[in-house]
Amino acid sequence: MKRTVKCLVAAALLLACGASRGQSLEDVLKKAVGDKTQQKKDSPAAEDVLGSLLSAAKGPSQEEEIAIGRQIAGNLLGAAPLVKDEQLQRYVNRVGRWVACQSERSGLPWHFGVIESTDVNAFAAPGGYVFVTRGLYGLLGSEAELAGVLAHEIGHVLRKHHLKLLQESRLIDLGGKAIARQAGDNSAVQKAIGSGAEVAARALDKGAEFEADRIAVVLCTRAGYEPYAFPEVLQLIGHAAKDEGRVALLFKTHPHPDDRMDKLGLAMGDRFDRIKGLSLDKRFYRLKP
Amino acid sequence: MSQARMIKLGAALLALLAASPGRAAETGTFLKADAVRATPYGDGKLVATLPAGTKVTILKKSGGWLQVKSAKGTGWARMLSIRRGEAAPKAGNAAGVLSLASGRAGTGKVVATTGIRGLSEEELKTAKFDENELRLAESYAASEEDARGFAGKGKLAARKFDYLPAPK
Repeated sequence: MKRTVKCLVAAALLLACGASRGQSLEDVLKKAVGDKTQQKKDSPAAEDVLGSLLSAAKGPSQEEEIAIGRQIAGNLLGAAPLVKDEQLQRYVNRVGRWVACQSERSGLPWHFGVIESTDVNAFAAPGGYVFVTRGLYGLLGSEAELAGVLAHEIGHVLRKHHLKLLQESRLIDLGGKAIARQAGDNSAVQKAIGSGAEVAARALDKGAEFEADRIAVVLCTRAGYEPYAFPEVLQLIGHAAKDEGRVALLFKTHPHPDDRMDKLGLAMGDRFDRIKGLSLDKRFYRLKP
Repeated sequence: MSQARMIKLGAALLALLAASPGRAAETGTFLKADAVRATPYGDGKLVATLPAGTKVTILKKSGGWLQVKSAKGTGWARMLSIRRGEAAPKAGNAAGVLSLASGRAGTGKVVATTGIRGLSEEELKTAKFDENELRLAESYAASEEDARGFAGKGKLAARKFDYLPAPK
């Protein structure tokens, strides 16, 4: 009886693993565990070990992911509060949610916001929290460009780039158990993410940024926007480079815009040559000075 | 009343800025060797192939293409192969460069007048959790249904498009 339960748990874990794609470590472990469980059916101890290994590879649950993201978002807002313009914030949430609807994680509780900072930057936290600085928003000239910026950050959330970074740096308990046990307790989650919103200031690997750039273009295209609006933003950021200070952190944590344009150009090729879309520059909500 | 007037005045000023001359000669630099074609399509007739570093004058923009003028002729080149506004940056040119991007001007300057601080690595590290601000942010969330209605109003229609593989 007890064994049946264990088997069921193991099967559920395997299924859960198979369901979320693109995690190579997970795939490798899944395969290894699959082989092992066949060989050692009579060894419950081995099953336990492998089971916990499996859950470790799977990482935090969605609930935990959101709790982690919420903590990071709250910290970020502690450093830079929202721009006090309800119309602006609601507008950004509608654009962002529409773009996120085009993704495989449309059901996450997505939140978007514009924060008070002259820096040119945007941030994503696990679970669907996305923030754009006033400095970056002010450079934009159309809804499609805004959609592009949000879509790049949505891409980080979709592929769990920051969550993986936290896992790699062992800030998160690998099984996510500590967080699960104390859901709702800020201090436990805070312990898991390090100091303040520092993860937001940490560089992802270049590949993750290029991937988010490609996702940005695709999600915008799916949402009906002009496919080249996001590349346009890369151009804009490239110009802002001469302004030093306000792009310092962005440039420290991202590949150079020229490099990003190069990689994105190669990935886009001629696939978008005959695809039109809307820029909606008239509907774009402009910041009050 | 006075707010409405302020908005009108602001709009008029923006219009003036957008219409101001002096940003005719937009320049660009080829980031890599690429083709210049007679039409803004990958299968357009080849006009020339320009090497990396070539300086060109940008005439107009169409989707992912820029119409450029070079010593080897005029034609269309892929926007992502060109860094705009690099050659001979002069005072006051920045607004022009930004305006070409999407037919606007002046918006990039608004931030400079606000006097709000930046957001450094150190500030992020020492940031303290702000529950009230977070709740406020969460209160603005849009539902899927809300977002779909909003998209419909803007005549945005969802379409299928596969994710892009990483370039080799």
